[in-house]
Amino acid sequence: MLHIRSGLSIPQRRVWGLVILVAASYAIAAVSAHSSPPKAAQPPQITFNHDIAPIIFHSCSSCHRPGEAAPFSLLTYSDVKKHARQIAEVTRSRSMPPWLPAPQELKFSDELRLTDDEIKLIENWVAQGSIEGDPRDLPPQPKFVEGWSLGKPDLILTASKPFTLPPQGTDSYWNFIFPVPIQETKWVKAVEIRPGDKRYVHHANILVDRSGDSRRREAEPGAGFGGMEIRIESQVFDPDSHLLFWKPGTVPSEEPDGMPLRLDKSTDLILNTHLQPSGKPELIQPSIGLYFTSHAATKFPMLLQLENDLKLDIPAGDKNFLVTDDFTLPLDVDLMAIYPHAHYVGKDLQAFATLPDEKKETLIHIPLWNLNWQAVYRYAKPVRLPKGTTVSLRYVYDNSSENPLNPNRPPARVVGGNRSNDEMCHLWLQVLPVNFDDAQGDPRMVLQEALARHNVAKNPADFEAHYNLAAMLQAKDKLQEAVSEYHLAVKIRPDDAVGNNALGAALVAQGHPAEAADYLQKAIRARPDYFDAHYNLGFALAGQEDFAAAADQFRLASKLQPNDAGVEANLGVALAQMGRYDEAKGHLQRALEIDPEQPIAKENLQVLKEMTSH
Amino acid sequence: MGAKARKSRGRASWVAVALVALYTSALGQQTGLDLDGHAKDPFRSSSGKVVVLVFLRRDCPASSRYAPAIQEISKRYADRATFWLVYPDKNDGAEAIRKSIDEYGYRLPVLRDPDRALVKLSHVQITPEVAVFDQRQRLVYNGRIDDWYIDLGRSRPAPTTHELEDAIRAAVSGMVVAHSEVRGVGCYISDLD
Repeated sequence: MLHIRSGLSIPQRRVWGLVILVAASYAIAAVSAHSSPPKAAQPPQITFNHDIAPIIFHSCSSCHRPGEAAPFSLLTYSDVKKHARQIAEVTRSRSMPPWLPAPQELKFSDELRLTDDEIKLIENWVAQGSIEGDPRDLPPQPKFVEGWSLGKPDLILTASKPFTLPPQGTDSYWNFIFPVPIQETKWVKAVEIRPGDKRYVHHANILVDRSGDSRRREAEPGAGFGGMEIRIESQVFDPDSHLLFWKPGTVPSEEPDGMPLRLDKSTDLILNTHLQPSGKPELIQPSIGLYFTSHAATKFPMLLQLENDLKLDIPAGDKNFLVTDDFTLPLDVDLMAIYPHAHYVGKDLQAFATLPDEKKETLIHIPLWNLNWQAVYRYAKPVRLPKGTTVSLRYVYDNSSENPLNPNRPPARVVGGNRSNDEMCHLWLQVLPVNFDDAQGDPRMVLQEALARHNVAKNPADFEAHYNLAAMLQAKDKLQEAVSEYHLAVKIRPDDAVGNNALGAALVAQGHPAEAADYLQKAIRARPDYFDAHYNLGFALAGQEDFAAAADQFRLASKLQPNDAGVEANLGVALAQMGRYDEAKGHLQRALEIDPEQPIAKENLQVLKEMTSH
Repeated sequence: MGAKARKSRGRASWVAVALVALYTSALGQQTGLDLDGHAKDPFRSSSGKVVVLVFLRRDCPASSRYAPAIQEISKRYADRATFWLVYPDKNDGAEAIRKSIDEYGYRLPVLRDPDRALVKLSHVQITPEVAVFDQRQRLVYNGRIDDWYIDLGRSRPAPTTHELEDAIRAAVSGMVVAHSEVRGVGCYISDLD
């Protein structure tokens, strides 16, 4: 007898988690050793060789050298003298070196902040006439690695088409897709991002796309696509745990022990770049170097996102618009890195932790936000945040004409959104759960569920909050609860393709194929080329024993993804149910050509053979 | 002759400087070198027109990023004003400058100013800054092109003041205009050898 195998073994395609712009990285190690700081009693004559070169070599030269992001080199006396007044001015205003956070107790691993003494010293040196001094006082020039800084990568990916940056206008945001040509899962211990001509790239983020979702945005394969923020749908509970980030001066380094990044077959890396026009057209063609390790991950950090975009509705002219979010940790974590993000109206960005003993720790404070210098900040030592700690976000926005970066003139109402003229209120924390009880399951799930429940409570009208909570509950096999959360999500966005598909898939899994079919059809109306929805609808129809209609849906799915073994297998089963054994056999065999281990095809082909041999 | 302070407009504060004996300024040395190394007086070949000197450094991104704006403004006033690009850095050689203006799409005559004669004449301190001389070779404005840059780390989405264009319009009007000055944001010329 032929049978369709139970729903559990046929992959229920649904979409887990909508991830918005995550990415990232690595410590951005500073460069050479710093010679001793200037003493309080300064020598009467300040010289480049004795006093200034150590500061420049330590804090400027890593970017100010050929091939790097800065527009001119600062490696010799004559280099520095040519910009001496300018250096005094930009260090006094602290626009250079670029370092946004205010000083705080918790140290970052790569602080680029000059001391007040150093700044004063430069100013006095220029006032005294920028003297060179005794050559014997000159410290050795810092050594830099040419080319790939960690040696030749195991795999180099280069964007298939360059992006032409226009000579003028506002900044451009461009995304390059890098398909990763690997046949099996690899562990990545380090990533080096070469963003193209570094002089015009403000920052670049890597997002891991395991769904192929981003390719839909390209006009043609390899073309890339525009946009400041990207949203990737992922099919499994798979919290991206790494911040892969490049900014000027970034020196790549290996991920901490035991925490390599997993790369599967058919994964795309998306490089999200922020580009600034230079005055002439520039071709930007980035590449990415990957360094593999044979050691699989043993520790699994995750990214926690605090946010409150729905509260962003800033009246024109409002100088101090406050947005908050407060999340209490359900278990102990080590905080490894932090990444605040807002757009042009963001002014004062702050995050702090209130520990269970009421002690307050500033995690980061950026008193004057500048999107151009956004960065991932890594802590010099992981910061232990015990269970019960509340992490708080306090972002202040200035939507008045006094904010020179305001994209609207005169100021206009600004709301949350992905475009650069919209605003954002995001804070990413890379955390490693510690001291957890294995019996509770994957601690990242515990954290994610707590966060999802927090988000639903915070903004009951937030589609994504309900959706993510539902997906979380479904992953934990709490189907009943998941279905009611999906219902709430779909109520908020009745025509959302992803929401309707997920609800349909959950209802199929729950054994309600008729009800499921309605939602799946809605998903298909919203997005006719939605592979997952056709696949799931085929399933829902088969569940109602309408095999002809089911076969039609599997055929549509197969047209959208011709090399999917699951679709071929299910199409074969549906045809067999209709008594069309020869056609069925063809599709089951085709499934095994694509995947020799496809269990449904294997089993049903066997059944077919036995049947026809009698 | 004393000049009256020009009224501040918009958010930009006009630093008005009273210059005595403005008329004499154009009588000093006023030649640069063309890219073939010959002395060239930008005023002699621009008689009857307003003259705009635009000071640039090749190693100064703030001045490079202005290329499209400078080219556009020069086109807009081509019949009334003659624009010259002036490079005060001794190390910006003729070949390098040719290559650079080609890359940035400039269609404007170029002068080198290694002795800073034109810098002195124009009272400029920064690249990019401009100097606008009226038809009688009086300096009516020197300083920034507009307020695009807030400081070296930040620029506005678009400029909100347009000092260079205001000065050109005032100069071509033929009225006697008080000299004015607004410091630019960019790279100091005095840092050069």
